[in-house]
Amino acid sequence: MLKIENLHARVEGKDILKGLSLEVKPGEVHAIMGPNGAGKSTLGNVLSGREGYEVTEGSVLFEGRNLLELAPEERAAAGVFLAFQYPVEIPGVNNTYFLRAAYNAQRKARGEGELDSMQFLKLVREKLKIMQLSPDLLNRAVNEGFSGGEKKRNEIFQMALLEPKLAILDETDSGLDIDALKQVAEGVNALRSPERSFIVVTHYQRLLDYIVPDHVHVLAGGRIVESGDRSLALKLEEHGYAWVAEHGEPAGASA
Amino acid sequence: MTAESIETRADNTLLRDNAEVAEALGRNYAAGFVTEIESESLPPGLDEGIIRQLSAIKREPEWMTQWRLAAFRHWQTMPTPDWAKLKIDPIDYQAISYYSAPKAGPKSLDEVDPALLETYEKLGVPLHERAALAGVAVDAVFDSVSVGTTFRKKLAEAGVIFCSMSEAIREHPALVQKYLGSVVPQGDNYFAALNSAVFSDGSFVFVPEGVRCPMELSTYFRINAQNTGQFERTLIVCEDRAQVSYLEGCTAPRRDENQLHAAVVELVALEGADIKYSTVQNWYPGDENGVGGIYNFVTKRGDCRGADSKISWTQVETGSAVTWKYPSVVLRGDRSVGEFYSVALTHHFQQADTGTKMIHIGRDTKSKIVSKGISAGRSSNSYRGLVKVEKGAERARNYTQCDSLLIGKKCGAHTFPYMEVKNPTAIVEHEATTSKISDDQLFYCRSRGIGEEDAVSMIVDGFCKQVFRELPMEFAVEAKKLLEVSLEGAVG
Amino acid sequence: MNQPARPPFVAALAEAPLPASGVAWLDKARRENLDAFVAAGLPDTRVEAWKYTALRALSQRSFAAGDAQALSRDIDPALLALAGIEGPALVFVNGVYRADLSMLDALPAGVDLQPLSHALAADPESLRFTLSRHYREPGDAFARLNGAFAHDGAVLRVAAGAKISVPLRLVFVGAAAGAEIAWHVRHLVELGEGAELTLIEQHLGAGEQAHLGTQLGDVTLHADATLHHVGLQQAGAGSSLVRRSHYRLGARAQTHLHALELGGTLARHDLRAELVGDAAGFHGHGAFLPDGRQHMDIQLAIGHQARNTVSSSTWRGVASGRGRGVFRGAIVVNTGADGADAVLGNKNLLLSPQAEIDTKPELEIYADEVKAAHGATVGQLDERASFYLRSRGIPEPQARTLLTTAFARAPFESLASERLREHIDQLLLARLPA
Repeated sequence: MLKIENLHARVEGKDILKGLSLEVKPGEVHAIMGPNGAGKSTLGNVLSGREGYEVTEGSVLFEGRNLLELAPEERAAAGVFLAFQYPVEIPGVNNTYFLRAAYNAQRKARGEGELDSMQFLKLVREKLKIMQLSPDLLNRAVNEGFSGGEKKRNEIFQMALLEPKLAILDETDSGLDIDALKQVAEGVNALRSPERSFIVVTHYQRLLDYIVPDHVHVLAGGRIVESGDRSLALKLEEHGYAWVAEHGEPAGASA
Repeated sequence: MTAESIETRADNTLLRDNAEVAEALGRNYAAGFVTEIESESLPPGLDEGIIRQLSAIKREPEWMTQWRLAAFRHWQTMPTPDWAKLKIDPIDYQAISYYSAPKAGPKSLDEVDPALLETYEKLGVPLHERAALAGVAVDAVFDSVSVGTTFRKKLAEAGVIFCSMSEAIREHPALVQKYLGSVVPQGDNYFAALNSAVFSDGSFVFVPEGVRCPMELSTYFRINAQNTGQFERTLIVCEDRAQVSYLEGCTAPRRDENQLHAAVVELVALEGADIKYSTVQNWYPGDENGVGGIYNFVTKRGDCRGADSKISWTQVETGSAVTWKYPSVVLRGDRSVGEFYSVALTHHFQQADTGTKMIHIGRDTKSKIVSKGISAGRSSNSYRGLVKVEKGAERARNYTQCDSLLIGKKCGAHTFPYMEVKNPTAIVEHEATTSKISDDQLFYCRSRGIGEEDAVSMIVDGFCKQVFRELPMEFAVEAKKLLEVSLEGAVG
Repeated sequence: MNQPARPPFVAALAEAPLPASGVAWLDKARRENLDAFVAAGLPDTRVEAWKYTALRALSQRSFAAGDAQALSRDIDPALLALAGIEGPALVFVNGVYRADLSMLDALPAGVDLQPLSHALAADPESLRFTLSRHYREPGDAFARLNGAFAHDGAVLRVAAGAKISVPLRLVFVGAAAGAEIAWHVRHLVELGEGAELTLIEQHLGAGEQAHLGTQLGDVTLHADATLHHVGLQQAGAGSSLVRRSHYRLGARAQTHLHALELGGTLARHDLRAELVGDAAGFHGHGAFLPDGRQHMDIQLAIGHQARNTVSSSTWRGVASGRGRGVFRGAIVVNTGADGADAVLGNKNLLLSPQAEIDTKPELEIYADEVKAAHGATVGQLDERASFYLRSRGIPEPQARTLLTTAFARAPFESLASERLREHIDQLLLARLPA
């Protein structure tokens, strides 16, 4: 589904990703862990097409298409979804209106019919239940005045609604207490399917107790220095990232 | 005055500029078509003779002629205003025709030239049967004269007078004489003086004591003929505990020359009266290179003359090459309330200098100002406002919020609020921000699949929400569309 | 032609002899400034910069040019003391340098501080650029006047890299002179690259005598320089004081200004900061407290002209008696000044029915990568706070004083020197009714 090869990316003249490779098959959940500044958020932003992230080398294929050529909205229509670490507030823009615009824009781009407001509202209500979000959220402006937990749950709710093929969760666990974390994880697990893949980017292991990954990768110095199964995450928890830095250095040095 | 002195223009220039061409050229300005109808105009120029002619054409009583002449004499003594933040070419007042009317004078709506009705149709004016559906009574002013007023009968039953100003001068002279110029005196400012001398038509509304106007009233203004100015005069009077909501829409065709629009609007609210005045201003803004467009110099003022009265201005300004307009409220009555909600959008080379004045005189008076400015292209957009609390205005309150949104690097957004407070029990608060559409917001929308232009409209619409909420429903929809159209090409 | 008669103010100064310098360019500049002043006269309230400060009354008075006895006026040294702050000080009486009252013997290394009169005698050429400037705006009458008549003031240069820990003081005393006089002082302050300095500027009054003082200052900060500038204006009750300071900041240079306005009948202060270097910052804080019949007019204008420049300003006004406070705070972000971040707040208390506050924050923005915000309020003390204090046993007048003082001191909380903060507290407490 997603094939990243030797990806190099630069932000404000600084090289952040330095040869990252990763392959995600349909239905897989990949966790990407790493210390602060390793390039975790950069990966999500590059995949979703944020401006200011310059790809200097390498390729990203999504279902055989060159993802890097597409505008952000085209990537969304193709089925790539980024759950933001810090979802931005958009004052005055009604949440329902926003969701419907996004939903219909994507359907239209895929040549599917648009939903009218009644049909859409019905759909939204169903999905809301999954995320245990209060319906009054729909009447508020996008992310405005939402608590940290509400913002994160709202991201997952959007994911449930938009049903992407590939979802990238960027530090979705940060700032959440354990109950909110569980709710978010439940939301994600409900969406797991043989066709849908996830990249879960996180600093901490604890999220992976609830969203169990098929593969765990350690990102350090802009590349993946270690890959393994779930036990890798536990090892990280035990030894900390310093262990990775030591462990991973020779690979980096030989590059 | 005889008809021979009236120049008939049927008219080559109009043909040259036919609707098809205009439409092809003017995708971005949907109202930019010209209606081919025969019109009659006074020759360009301005002197006492012209004013007497104008007054005669309109069969005005002598007091009105004298009123105009007094204004004209005063105007001649006034210096041309110099524009703080506006760059405009000098206006040749002798090159303007001060009267242009469709030649066949309509007696009733059925007699109105079909081409004209079609014009309104294109503009989306809910006139005639459409008016019935929309439940709106419309007074349409085409160039200089009022062409038809709908729902007269229903309004008359309620005791509401809604007619053209010309008609009011003839039919209700006592009311006009009592209130005309009582809010905006003839010599108030340069353009108000000019308007007082040459105003050709406009709307008159009178709502008697205790009456809530049974429907929303509406006027559409349109400048059609070339080299004419439009100088309409609107007067709305609400007696004690009367209430009215009034809507005003404006359009003009595309022309390469600048045209002048200098209107005066006076509102009088007596005790407990409530007037809501909404404007969607979409005069032709000029093209992408700043050629042509309307000079929109308007004096709008409301007088909360009685206790517990309320005047609320809502405006959405997307048109005109140059706008100079400060709808104001004089809060004379105790506990009176003044409001100003404004969205002003400028693009290309448009210049807008708009805002409000809230003059607190009575006790416990309140005012609220919400101004949203959006600048794109090479335009310049200024908020200029005054909040004045006079000595006797015990416990006066004002809250002002001015936000500016910048789209692009070559535009300007400015905020000039003046606060003058002479009463120690008053509270005046002003807040202003300026920012651009944030990359984060745009990216967020796009990453959810919404295209860039749609994302911009969505964010701009959200930015304006507080103001749109104040508009009657169908106007809010129109306003939103106007912003979208006006912003085309602003991004990227 | 039918020329209107010159008002007495202009007429008196038009005929006054200009100071003779023996330097051709300077004499010429002074003459041109005087001619420009006489031609335009004093601005009226139609000039935007003077909208709220009418000069009609001033224009009907006439002032003699300078005080011939300035060198011999008796000044109590106790007047000049400031909160136990020792260190170098230049003292001027009625616009004339007083070596006997000044302290220049212990100048730190890297500091060149001398009166303008000495600097002109020694090396006029180095001052040429600044002193031959023309003032062309319609409201520039006092700058022209200063340009014509000022022959003394302070010239202060700090060498590149010099970090001066001792504060320097400039003290201006308006002393009773037996007649209405006008005096003028001119400053030049220049901080070299990376230099750091604290400069305290005081205006004091000795004896009750109406007079006019004008001050014109140019403050230049080269890259990475930092200036802490403190202004304490306690001019005498009869004085009219018109000041103007121009700050020009190079890359990453920072100015922290704290200004308290207490004295004078008419106190006008124009502060203009131009952020010409990338990442330069101007942080202006102040309070003005017009009481009695005082009229105070603060005109702050900050120009963001380079990238990532920052300005933050907090000003408080307290108007009591028949006092009138005027504040204008203009932020201009020029084309190309991307990344500018500007914020300005002006809060005012209106304490009496005869007092008035006129405030006008302005934003003028010509760039789009900008964060700019301003706010202004006019109101009263928070009744809930007052009630809270009273419910704890503090009598109402005292509660009011406490709250008013707290309100006025807020801008000075960012002042680094604790001594000065305490001193300002005392000035505020002494000023407000107990």
